[in-house]
Amino acid sequence: MRRGFRIASGLIGLLFVLACLAWSGQKQPVPVSILMPAPYADASTQMVEAFNREHRGSIHLEVIRGPLETESISDLAISSLLLGDTPFDALLMDVTWLPKYAEAGWLEPLDPWFDQAALDQLILGARLGNHHKGQLYRWPLGADVGVLYWRTDLMDSPPSTPEQLSDIAINLVQTKRVTNGYVWQGRQYEGLSCNFVEVLHGFGGQWLNPATGQLELDATSAARAAAWMQSLITTGASPKAVINYSESESLQAFKAGDAAFMRNWPYAWAELQKPESNVRGNVGIALMVAEPDQSPAATVGSWGLSLLKQSPHQEAAVEAIRYLTSEAAQRERFLNQGYTPTSKSLFRDPELIAVSSALPEIAKALEYSVSRPPSPLYAQLSDLLQRQLNGLLTAEPEKTNRDVGTATAASAAAMNRVQTKSDMLLKATGAEA
Amino acid sequence: MTVLLAFPALLLMAVVFGWPMLRYAWLSFHADSVLTGLVPVPNGGANWLRLLTDSRFWLDAGQTTRFAIVSVGLELILALAIALLLDQRWRGRSAVRALSLLPWALPTTMMALGWRWIFNTPYGPIEQVAEAAGFGPLNLLSTPAMTWIVTVLADVWKTTPFITLILLAGLQTIPEDLYAAFRLEGGSAFQALRRVTIPLLMPYILLSLLFRMAQAFGVFDLIQVLTGGGPAGSTESLALYAYLNGMRFLDFGYSATVMVGGFLLLTALILLGALLLRMTGALRAMQP
Amino acid sequence: MSSKRSWVSSRHAVLVTLLLIWSLAPMIWQLISSFTSSEALVNGAIPFQNRWTLIHYRELLSSDPPFWRYLLNSTVVAGASTVLTLVLAVPAAYVLAQLPRRWRRSIRSGVIAAALFPYVLLFLALLELARNFHLGNSLFALALPYSALAMPLALLLLTAAFEGLPKDLDDAARLEGLTLGQRLRWVMLPLIAPASASTAILVFLFAWNEYPIALTWLSRSDLLTLPVAMARIAGSSIYSIPYGAYAAATVIGAIPLLLLVLLFQRQIVSGLTNGAIKG
Repeated sequence: MRRGFRIASGLIGLLFVLACLAWSGQKQPVPVSILMPAPYADASTQMVEAFNREHRGSIHLEVIRGPLETESISDLAISSLLLGDTPFDALLMDVTWLPKYAEAGWLEPLDPWFDQAALDQLILGARLGNHHKGQLYRWPLGADVGVLYWRTDLMDSPPSTPEQLSDIAINLVQTKRVTNGYVWQGRQYEGLSCNFVEVLHGFGGQWLNPATGQLELDATSAARAAAWMQSLITTGASPKAVINYSESESLQAFKAGDAAFMRNWPYAWAELQKPESNVRGNVGIALMVAEPDQSPAATVGSWGLSLLKQSPHQEAAVEAIRYLTSEAAQRERFLNQGYTPTSKSLFRDPELIAVSSALPEIAKALEYSVSRPPSPLYAQLSDLLQRQLNGLLTAEPEKTNRDVGTATAASAAAMNRVQTKSDMLLKATGAEA
Repeated sequence: MTVLLAFPALLLMAVVFGWPMLRYAWLSFHADSVLTGLVPVPNGGANWLRLLTDSRFWLDAGQTTRFAIVSVGLELILALAIALLLDQRWRGRSAVRALSLLPWALPTTMMALGWRWIFNTPYGPIEQVAEAAGFGPLNLLSTPAMTWIVTVLADVWKTTPFITLILLAGLQTIPEDLYAAFRLEGGSAFQALRRVTIPLLMPYILLSLLFRMAQAFGVFDLIQVLTGGGPAGSTESLALYAYLNGMRFLDFGYSATVMVGGFLLLTALILLGALLLRMTGALRAMQP
Repeated sequence: MSSKRSWVSSRHAVLVTLLLIWSLAPMIWQLISSFTSSEALVNGAIPFQNRWTLIHYRELLSSDPPFWRYLLNSTVVAGASTVLTLVLAVPAAYVLAQLPRRWRRSIRSGVIAAALFPYVLLFLALLELARNFHLGNSLFALALPYSALAMPLALLLLTAAFEGLPKDLDDAARLEGLTLGQRLRWVMLPLIAPASASTAILVFLFAWNEYPIALTWLSRSDLLTLPVAMARIAGSSIYSIPYGAYAAATVIGAIPLLLLVLLFQRQIVSGLTNGAIKG
């Protein structure tokens, strides 16, 4: 009797152990979390649901909704990474942060998962800014470039040189056909640096020489570029208020029909075609102006997904990254929210062009992309430039510079100051000479 | 032997207060940034040369000094008035005293969030009142000229109760008979304030002044949450700049330099203040 | 004389009312806003009856992590800091009170200098310590710097309290055969209880309100103390600024502190007062 009891309890115990083993052996879905700014997170909800349906039982993807403000996302991520904590597997990374994160050793190279063939499928603008010291650290989600919007009802063709832009703008303002000539972003913030880079390349200069790693703001081209931007205000080609404009103010002015030209990102196109826009149907997109012998430039601003080195689920995270950046995902994001795609082929897709006729122009601009200096210290370099440049734009000039394209003493001095302080910054932070 | 009992407390204090400044002084002569893998590498005086020509540092130093002086000045005047009020004996005094302490007890960052709403354009109550009165949009948090005033107001609101208590303590040490004697000699209440109260309160005023100046110079919580240093860096304080250099730019060496520089400026400011006080004290001593 | 007093007291009433408005209005506004619906916050024209809602509080309590988590974290840190500070400061104050006058003055000057120091400047070195010794994201580890920062005030108050005890008391107790531990526990501590209480509440309040060190030592969202959580909430505005939820957060966050102040106001006041007089 007792022996039977013992056998029975032994069997039950064995059964129990087997059940536990079976239960734990059953695969739990691998959790993957990605931190994104709120707009991107919201735009991705349906895609995330679809992903989780397709990968039910194997991977569970969660998108963490971060602050809207760009820098806040980075601050949030850095505060964890500095303490050695990795609360998420991947991060949606702005192009200007990549060198900093990569240099700090927080990112895992993506070369094993994305090869040259995959890179070749991307349009040029999306290909920029994903590498650091030869390794791939970011796979692009969306790429934007600065373009020149022009009023088709006020002129036959857009200007191609700075001089033409100035002349047409001044002319239109003086003949009172439009209130403002050319609106752009002159406030002291990152947008100003983006504007400047395009003008700088248009005058044949560059901020950072990729071959030598040296800054070249003390070259004449920089002084000329800065002088031209200042002259836009002093000659009346641009309103004085432009020194406080960010993207939204310039868009507001152009949309209301108060400006002939605007420099802005591709998102503005959709806004300008809305029913409440006063310039609907009268807008064209062109490349930014450049001197006759120079190539036009478009500053690229892109977001991409980076894998954190400490992530315990790298394979699964890359799977999620692939999905969120696939052509299907790009198509959906473009059709629903207007986010620019990254695959070359999508720019020729008739379905997409039907929705936005500006797509071919944007594709062309993306082929002329230039990036801002890929330095881990970019934020500080940009800050130095913004202060001097905005100060130059705000200051009263000694005399109106009517000679478009020549440097002034003030502009040269400002650019030299940026150069000197930047060199001091790089030296003090341990950059190799 | 029992002296050892004091050891843990003093050691903890020495580590937490003494070590940082020594470390910063050392770090300021090194490059310690993301470019060096957050490992200090000697770089001579490069950080200090950079600090001397760093317009953002000097701008922030000026803004912080202005904030500290105006804020502490207002706090002292307001706190003195409130302390005089609370010093008198009337019913419900201790309840009022407790209620007036509430601003000081609340975390700065929490109230900063509240202030953002109160001064919000166009929906906050201040803006609504201004519109109703016809003053039009004040844009208190988006104009550099006005935003720093909002920060001063928020700071005064929070820290005045603290000074009030200190001054109250001082007021209570002044014997009643001094006032009685003064009044017998025919002095008015205002003269009593000037001739009796303030001179006897001086040590407490100076203590509050010293304490608050140092705290106000290091203002961080309020600025970071209320304005983030904006608009366009016009309210950025030295502490915030040091913090950004460390946590956002990953430039620890320069962050340390900014803090040492700021500390030296604060010391200079305090010494200057002490000098001024001594000079005016000497002047006052010369009066009959 | 009496007419002057009545004139003074009616003026008092006005001044006292102004003082109360000045001190309490912002909080009262937060309270009102927290019960106001998001639509009513931006539209003053909505009639009075339709403006009210509990949704902001519901959102806060169902968020991830729930809001009361932050209050719990702050309480844990503050409690640990208070205990640690008292455990270290009481024996230290006892010793300091017995030192010869010369030593006492110089140590007091050092302690006062530490009390005046703007502690936000310590964040970088403390961050380095957190990185190197893995002290980050731990509520108990945070009590270490907090105790150090609160130590000057604690030492000032407790040393003054010990100095206020009659000298022969300790000697008499020693003669009775009590060890140091017993003397402290049964004789001294009960006598300095008011000062200990003041110190405890002031340290507790300080630890609750501290921001820069907590900001750099804590990153996990479920470990944040209240000030850091509020700052993170403030920085995460998405499209429309959810001021109703912010106001509700302010109200919930303020409640424990308001209770503390109202319950312990006498200790707070006497603590600061004595600190000022002795300082």
